[in-house]
Amino acid sequence: MPKGKDSSNANDSRFFTTQKKGELHELRMELHATEKQVKVDAVKKVIASMTVGKDVSSLFTDVLNCVQTGNIELKKLVYLYLINYAKTQPELTLLAVNTFVKDSNDPNPLIRALAVRTMGCIRVDRITEYLCEPLGRALRDEDPYVRKTAAVCVAKLYDIAPDLVAERGFLETLHDLISDSNPSVVANAVAALSEIAEASGKDVMKISAAVLQKLLAALNECTEWGQVFILDSLAKYTPADGREAEGIIERVTPRLQHANSAVVMSAVKVILSYMELMGSSNSDAIRALTRKLAPPLVTLLNSEPEIQYVALRNINLIVQKRPHILENEIKVFFCKYNDPIYVKMEKLEIIIKLVSEKNIDQVLLELKEYSTEVDVDFVRKAVSAIGRCAVKLERAAERCIGVLLELIQTKVNYVVQESVIVIKDIFRRYPNRYESIIATLCDNLDTLDEPLARASMIWIIGEYAERIDNADELLDTFLETFEEEDPAVQLQLLTATVKCFLKNPEDTQDMVQRVLDLATEESDNPDLRDRGFIYWRLLSTDPEAAKMVVLGDKPVIEDDIFKLDPSLLNSLIGQIATLSSVYHKPPDAFVVRRAAGTGLGGDEDDDEDDYEAENDVGGEDLLDIGGMGISDGGLYEPKAPMNKVVGPEKSNGIEVHAGFRQLNGTIRLEMDIQNISSQASVHGLAIQLNKNSFGLSPASQQIVCNPPIPTGGSGSAAVELVVTPSMLAPMPPGQPANPQVQVAIKNMATGNVFYFAVIFNLDALFSQDGTMERSAFIETWKSIDDRNELYGTVSDLPPSNVDIESVINKFKGYNCFFIARRPVPNAEGQEVVYFSMRTVTNMEFLAELTFKQGVNATKICLKTEKAAYAPLAKAALESMLRA
Amino acid sequence: MISNFFVLSPRGDTIIAKQYRNYREGGTGAHERSHTEAFFRKIKFWDEMNLTPGGEETSSDQQKSGEKQQKTGDAPPVFMMPDGLSYLHVKRNGLIFGCAAASNVSAVTIIDLLSTVARVFKDYCGTLSEEAIRKNFILLYELLDEMLDYGYPQITRTSTLKSCVYNEPIVVENIGSTSNMINPKTASANSVHKPVISSVNANGRKTDSNANQKNEIFVDILERLNVLFSANGYVLNSTIDGCIQMKSYLAGNPELRLALNEDLIIGKKESGTYGSVNVDDINFNDCVNLNEFESARTLTFVPPEGEFVVLNYRLTGDFNTPFRIFPSIEEVDSKTLEITILIRAEMPQNHFGANVSVELPLPKCTNVAHCNVISSPGTGYTNAEFVRSEGKILWTMKKLPGGTEQTMKAKVSLSQACTTQIRREVGPINLNFEIPMYNVSKLQVRYLRIAESMAGYTPYRWVRYVTQSNSYVCRL
Repeated sequence: MPKGKDSSNANDSRFFTTQKKGELHELRMELHATEKQVKVDAVKKVIASMTVGKDVSSLFTDVLNCVQTGNIELKKLVYLYLINYAKTQPELTLLAVNTFVKDSNDPNPLIRALAVRTMGCIRVDRITEYLCEPLGRALRDEDPYVRKTAAVCVAKLYDIAPDLVAERGFLETLHDLISDSNPSVVANAVAALSEIAEASGKDVMKISAAVLQKLLAALNECTEWGQVFILDSLAKYTPADGREAEGIIERVTPRLQHANSAVVMSAVKVILSYMELMGSSNSDAIRALTRKLAPPLVTLLNSEPEIQYVALRNINLIVQKRPHILENEIKVFFCKYNDPIYVKMEKLEIIIKLVSEKNIDQVLLELKEYSTEVDVDFVRKAVSAIGRCAVKLERAAERCIGVLLELIQTKVNYVVQESVIVIKDIFRRYPNRYESIIATLCDNLDTLDEPLARASMIWIIGEYAERIDNADELLDTFLETFEEEDPAVQLQLLTATVKCFLKNPEDTQDMVQRVLDLATEESDNPDLRDRGFIYWRLLSTDPEAAKMVVLGDKPVIEDDIFKLDPSLLNSLIGQIATLSSVYHKPPDAFVVRRAAGTGLGGDEDDDEDDYEAENDVGGEDLLDIGGMGISDGGLYEPKAPMNKVVGPEKSNGIEVHAGFRQLNGTIRLEMDIQNISSQASVHGLAIQLNKNSFGLSPASQQIVCNPPIPTGGSGSAAVELVVTPSMLAPMPPGQPANPQVQVAIKNMATGNVFYFAVIFNLDALFSQDGTMERSAFIETWKSIDDRNELYGTVSDLPPSNVDIESVINKFKGYNCFFIARRPVPNAEGQEVVYFSMRTVTNMEFLAELTFKQGVNATKICLKTEKAAYAPLAKAALESMLRA
Repeated sequence: MISNFFVLSPRGDTIIAKQYRNYREGGTGAHERSHTEAFFRKIKFWDEMNLTPGGEETSSDQQKSGEKQQKTGDAPPVFMMPDGLSYLHVKRNGLIFGCAAASNVSAVTIIDLLSTVARVFKDYCGTLSEEAIRKNFILLYELLDEMLDYGYPQITRTSTLKSCVYNEPIVVENIGSTSNMINPKTASANSVHKPVISSVNANGRKTDSNANQKNEIFVDILERLNVLFSANGYVLNSTIDGCIQMKSYLAGNPELRLALNEDLIIGKKESGTYGSVNVDDINFNDCVNLNEFESARTLTFVPPEGEFVVLNYRLTGDFNTPFRIFPSIEEVDSKTLEITILIRAEMPQNHFGANVSVELPLPKCTNVAHCNVISSPGTGYTNAEFVRSEGKILWTMKKLPGGTEQTMKAKVSLSQACTTQIRREVGPINLNFEIPMYNVSKLQVRYLRIAESMAGYTPYRWVRYVTQSNSYVCRL
């Protein structure tokens, strides 16, 4: 280009620049300079202003002109500029499309890759069509650097135009890249496929035996990031059987030695997920593996604190799932003086998980030491940990209490308060055992100024009122400030006063009257008023009954504050190393879904409801016909066994029949409601469940009756239930589980509340994945002790209900899965059939049913480790047979 | 993977920001600067109410609502912000390397990635400081483009990156913020502040071995000790975190052979023969070839350019602690405490502890404390004084030779009568030190050779052993 033209250009533009644009103008001049170094410096200056937020988009064409150069440094700088505007001003970037297309044919692979990489970042529909051609070429480029860039670019394109990716066959090409000779290309192809799989919800990865071998081979060659991508995709794959799982584990185990903690964590994830599949027959192999897992996990604790934190959150999951792995390593979780607070808190949590009778003395010494540190929250957590150890280890409880008493002597305000709170828990766990320390606690009444500590202390006074000489005086001092107290304290105060009254009626008559007045008349808090009224009525009608209710035995508590629900835990183990494992929440709980799909989901729900309603209409008639539904070959759909649970006399004119069943994987409480004499038509109900043996709670508290049920009419309603550990009622050991689920219903029309109990049929809890391998079944069957066997006979069955084929089909509808059948040797016409069931709470049941030709009866033999639930499972089988 | 990447200065200014994904339709929505500002405020004023990273309320949170302690602790490295994105960050030299992610990404990978980016930045700039980053930002953006594509980590090895990066680093004079601590003999390899120089010149042609570059390799055998003593001098807990790290400036990337002790035993359970070196666990860098490790305890590798860790090892339990601490507290009268601390150096006489400092926290109600050091000869300058602003006695010794001991007596007068609680506020004693040319585990480099004989290739090899305190604490 002749020099003259450059300068004339510059001269021309001088006419158009105002004074304000002086700086930009100067830059523009420099961009058009002939000297290379000046140009380079100019582009650098442009980028500099860009990064501090100045608008240099007016120089776009000038910068773009510089791209026509053989100088790579300059070219890269121009692309640095372009890539920034590709994000914010895509329209401008369209001007550069020709440059991109041209550069994607450049002889230098760096430039080819640069062009493809930059084009992928421009989120404009119009550009995608230009992109396809160069991308297709880049995916088959001879240079691996270009291919690896192109692989990521497919993921970018999928984000803008998924259809285009499918249309152009890029997914197949990507899949071919898994067998690429260059490990970085393999890694990026795997990363891109995983991302597309997640975005589309389809299995685009399609791991076959051949692909698996390639992935495992690439694992040894890749960079650390490639290894992570491959391991993460392996973790999502389900091996065909135990042997394959073991084979993969063997190839993955050397990764545990890797210096990169991400590789180690991903390898741990693969191994733990696959271990599940190895089956109990491989207990030796599993034990050997758990031994191998401990050192790398411990080594993670020597990394930077940030890694330690993530590692500790994961170890928390691992020790819940497989406590043996780290049972001898508790010392490494002791806090260091200079650990950041977030690491210390996580370490404490793990110490409590690992504490045992063997190491309790060491742990107590350590926790006591922590209680003198400066950080208040850490100290509190350490004190509360001492109490949790006591609740967890019966034999060490006394020692723990000793330490707590020592701490109370220090008179440090927050230490005392925290101690009182945990001592209450210890009293709950071991009633009537350690009351001797109450005196010490009472000495510290004045220091308690936090609601929870006050409430705990008041609870203790009420519970042990008969052993504290001046219990009524103590309560009286609290009562003086009743109105200013926190609601939690008020509730405790109310209960404690009533307890005190029941134990010592003479001296406390006035006091109980005063507190009942305060609760029912002065307070605006509905909980407090309700509780006040209940006590009042109880006391006025039947003091003996009141005694039984208020002073009754309380269920035993456990240290399970931070224990995760087994099904959640299992799913989190599959998420090790991810954010999900750090938050201890499933991914759906925090990942923001993209707009698509949500609307669809809503529609689906509606459909389901409609379908449900139709079904219920037909249900009435079918009930009488019995097992007729079985013969049509389709999947049997279980009905909820409906029983009358409440009559009109208790519920202000509403009769309810209720039962449980599972439909499409959700547990439902179904109710037939007859409005016998309620004045208003029933249009909506609110429901609440009491804690129960199954952890059931309603997914939504509102039930809408559509159409409303007028007086004299009837209708049905269903509510979806979910299982949450917090709703699990504590169970005394050795007792069978209580099958009752207590329900409270509020009729929204009248505001009337009524209560009833429904017997839970366990089959509603059977999960859809309850089937197991035949070999695993045999192993499990053998491993369960004979004492945990339960026998029974179901007789007087209709003939159609003892046909084995139809029983198998019917049971499948109940998620009770057929394993095997065989004739009984030496017994003509007898046959045994085996079934397996697993509840959504992960309890396994194995059943053996014996049928004899011509006999309308079946013998049941049931095996399970969960003896408490065995009678319920047996009852469920019986009703399933009769259905 | 990650949606953006940013580096924030200690004051919260965005120094480097790069965006990889948009999640809102029609605009930059989710990752504007205002979001990194919100993020910075969050970690700056992290209150303990948020200790559960998922943001859920736990029972312990509620109990605190009554008496809220306005305290700011370190924010955990992973948490969720109200914009629905998870933010991950690491702190290096006061700078915050962070990023946001919208999906359920691998947290470990990202934290690792952030540390790696910080390390590569340091390799290229020579030092990691706000000024160095600001001066070199074009180079760093270029590096970032190669290291991350669409939020996925790509090339992160300094040596591989050299082939695709064109900008030259601008060296920043290191204003000795750390130099006052560093004794030349204990300076670790990572204190060599020399940027890696791009191997391609402006014409895009590779320049082979740079003539004016000195062939040097720095090898550190670095051990950090975590030791906890009880008040009567027993060791309660002790571990060594060790590593061999290198910084290579060798031209032509020759293959190296590094030999360790022949009697090195790995694994806790096997009891070694007397005098053997025993470590619990060891892990190696990717580039290390372990073919001869089992038989001869020899590693071969081509050292990647820049700083890297060859191997990490860990040792728990029995080893000879280099320093013993013997404290005693005496209540002279109700308001006066006399505290005596004896420190004995137990390593061989030809070694010494350097920059030894002893911290002793005192009760809040301390009026004044008089310290008096009784030193044995040859120990050099020592000083002990009560630092009121930090509420503790700081006792420093330039040098503490092996086999000697020092005693410090402090007379502490309190503003109120001493109770058990006040006594508990004394301590724990924290010891910081470095021991040059000495390591506790006895792990040694037998030799470091260049594998194939390259004629006339005589690199400078700097092999150093350094023992440092990580957490060296004595309870009272």
